[in-house]
Amino acid sequence: MSTISLHDTHHDDHGHGHHHETFLTKYVFSQDHKMIAKQFLITGIIMAVIAMLLSILFRLQLAWPDKTFPLLETFLGKWAEGGRIKPDFFLALVTIHGTIMVFFVLTAGLSGTFSNLLIPLQIGARDMASPFMNMLSYWFFLVACIIMMSSFFIQTGPASGGWTIYPPLSAVPKAMPGSQLGMTLWLISMVIFVASSLIGSLNYVSTILNMRTKGMDLWKMPLTIWALFLTAILGILSFPVLVSGVVLLIFDRSFGTSFYLSDLVFGTEILPNEGGSPILWQHLFWFLGHPEVYIVIMPALGISSEIISVNSRKPIFGYHAMVYSLIGITVLSFIVWGHHMFVTGMNPLLGGVFMITTLIIAVPSAVKTFNYLATLWRGNIRFTPAMLFAIGLVSFFISGGLTGIFLGNASLDINLHDTYFVVAHFHLVMGSAAIFGMLAGVYHWFPKMFGRMMNPKLAYLHFWLTFICAYLVFFPLHFLGLDGVPRRYYAFTEFEFMNKWLTVNVFVTWSAIIAALAQVAFLFNFFYSIFRGKKATQNPWEANTLEWTTPVEHLHGNWPGEIPAVYRWPYDYSKPGADQDFILQTTPFSETMSSNLPHDFEGNEEAERIQKEWEAKNKPVQE
Amino acid sequence: MVSTLQQENIPVNFKAKKFLVWLFVVSSTIMFGGWTSYYLVFMASKGKGHGLVLPEVFTYSTGALLISSVCLFLAARALKSGNRSKQRMFLWVTFILGIVFGVMQFQGWTSLYQTGAVLVNNNAAISMIYVVSGFHLLHIVAGLGFVLSSLIGSYKNITQDVAEYRQDITSIFWHFIDILWIYLYVFLLLNS
Repeated sequence: MSTISLHDTHHDDHGHGHHHETFLTKYVFSQDHKMIAKQFLITGIIMAVIAMLLSILFRLQLAWPDKTFPLLETFLGKWAEGGRIKPDFFLALVTIHGTIMVFFVLTAGLSGTFSNLLIPLQIGARDMASPFMNMLSYWFFLVACIIMMSSFFIQTGPASGGWTIYPPLSAVPKAMPGSQLGMTLWLISMVIFVASSLIGSLNYVSTILNMRTKGMDLWKMPLTIWALFLTAILGILSFPVLVSGVVLLIFDRSFGTSFYLSDLVFGTEILPNEGGSPILWQHLFWFLGHPEVYIVIMPALGISSEIISVNSRKPIFGYHAMVYSLIGITVLSFIVWGHHMFVTGMNPLLGGVFMITTLIIAVPSAVKTFNYLATLWRGNIRFTPAMLFAIGLVSFFISGGLTGIFLGNASLDINLHDTYFVVAHFHLVMGSAAIFGMLAGVYHWFPKMFGRMMNPKLAYLHFWLTFICAYLVFFPLHFLGLDGVPRRYYAFTEFEFMNKWLTVNVFVTWSAIIAALAQVAFLFNFFYSIFRGKKATQNPWEANTLEWTTPVEHLHGNWPGEIPAVYRWPYDYSKPGADQDFILQTTPFSETMSSNLPHDFEGNEEAERIQKEWEAKNKPVQE
Repeated sequence: MVSTLQQENIPVNFKAKKFLVWLFVVSSTIMFGGWTSYYLVFMASKGKGHGLVLPEVFTYSTGALLISSVCLFLAARALKSGNRSKQRMFLWVTFILGIVFGVMQFQGWTSLYQTGAVLVNNNAAISMIYVVSGFHLLHIVAGLGFVLSSLIGSYKNITQDVAEYRQDITSIFWHFIDILWIYLYVFLLLNS
């Protein structure tokens, strides 16, 4: 962390009262949003590596179900006796892979990192509404991570009922080993995680609404901020429902209530629980669970909007449409949860309603996609690593989104439900797309975070290997799903009709291994560049947004003097008549007379008059 | 690049922090909304609610909570007019009424328990009474913390700004849990 040198001289200028920072207050219990962002990012990256390694483990089992790998026993002990992963552990692997990826990497790692980093910097605030709560949010997150990982070190192993932890598997401890202490730890971890996420979201929303700099009205905010804002709102409105569901589940598990349980028989033993319904868990879970997938993808969409515009050197196409489509997705995401439950015996009429709302989401999603493409169209494109990843996101968003239309159809979903088709769909549209958005963000804002540049050559290697391998991993899974191969099966070769898919699984696993190895290029690049990367200039991508007006060296309070005021929207790239192909948000119109357009003044007659006078005086001279 | 903006010296932004409490109110409402939705769906699918006559003590506890809200309102008004000792007095009454409410809730649970309507129940609607009232009581405990912070402030020599800020967040939170309880109580009364 040699690059982060705080300039104490600046500190006294704006009286923040932070004079002597110790190692502990600066790196560990930091209340500075930029440091908290780095803490979120690095924790998120570590969790992503863990979850990726878990996926490689279960991919080995899927590709070579009958082969033994003595090395596995060395590392995993009794969970891979004789070098083969045990069925219970396989289920634990898929469960924890999903949990970590969805919540710890793509919710906390993505939103946590970029909300913390970008919200104060891009709206022009010294810090968050409550820096203390912000710190708390990170520490809750870390504790949740540690508790979740600790379940690998207990006798009965981690939770293994799938990341959606449907009862009765999750509610009856004796159902299977993974329903015991591991499940309890999962629930504790998740309650702490939700607390972290909520504290964070409250802070983000309050900061955006109350602490914008002068001139930064809502319609001058970068799309990253809009996306992070709406993501935080989604979190505030949906995570509490997960808490209510989880609380009832804890009561069922630990106290013997019957919220989700009824008519269960274990061997010869009849369980006393009566009258509950596991379907009610699914309702409560998916009321969070579906907005959750938009919590995952929306920050990535916002990040790529910004990056695509910067690197196409063009204004984002349809700024207002981009915002309204995000709002549309936010609203719609609350009325589609039933599409996860088409096969629960739902009333077909209700299924039809959920089908229609689900399919309507294709509209705002398509608006976004076409706007990305239109922004790229005839742009002066700079293929920076961040740009490649942002374009990668658009690609995954399209190819994964299209299969969403299949799955949203109740009648098709009955055939495709719980097959590898679903796995392929969400790994492309929210898994790969969101990860690519996150990586794009990391490559783009790395100079802002660490004051240094990442190596572009390694980044290109990382991009191409990951991009190609992600398709090679997930595309074939569609065909398995169409053939009816169910997800989460340990020994699918036991069914004769699935045997033919073994070779495809071998191919997929090799692709996954290569994709995993490609991440070494990223990890090396990331950690090496923190210390040894090329020193960054203040505005390396020539972007318009406020964060690039702060000094490269981080200060507590972000700007050495006053917070700059904002005069224009963030997408004035390649404006005809301007000297440069970018105009910072902090540049007043009076300094860009040659490029001002009538609609820039939003009906301000005085400004229009001055502009007309100037044009009458200057235009003929130019000719 | 740097414009002529007034030197901003904002170590704390009270407005933004107060807004945090409002947002918390929203998320908490939704959590309870989750439970009452469970209740409604459960009732619709099973054709039965909790089927009990709720203990009378819940009515008294509701009354206590209502009066506490009124007292807190008077405390806020006293602070606005600069009368700190009056504010302190009303805060103490609020605090004590909050504790009285808590004690009465325990009495309510006891009488439920004695009639056989226990938490571990094959009728999830009855278990739900305990869950919602229990989590509401947790909110009361948190609310007492806010009242306490205002009280401590009224003994210390804090500025009017800080005192009003503390009083404001206490009021937002306390009135919220008051209204929340009324909602839950009426909900349970109507959906028996």
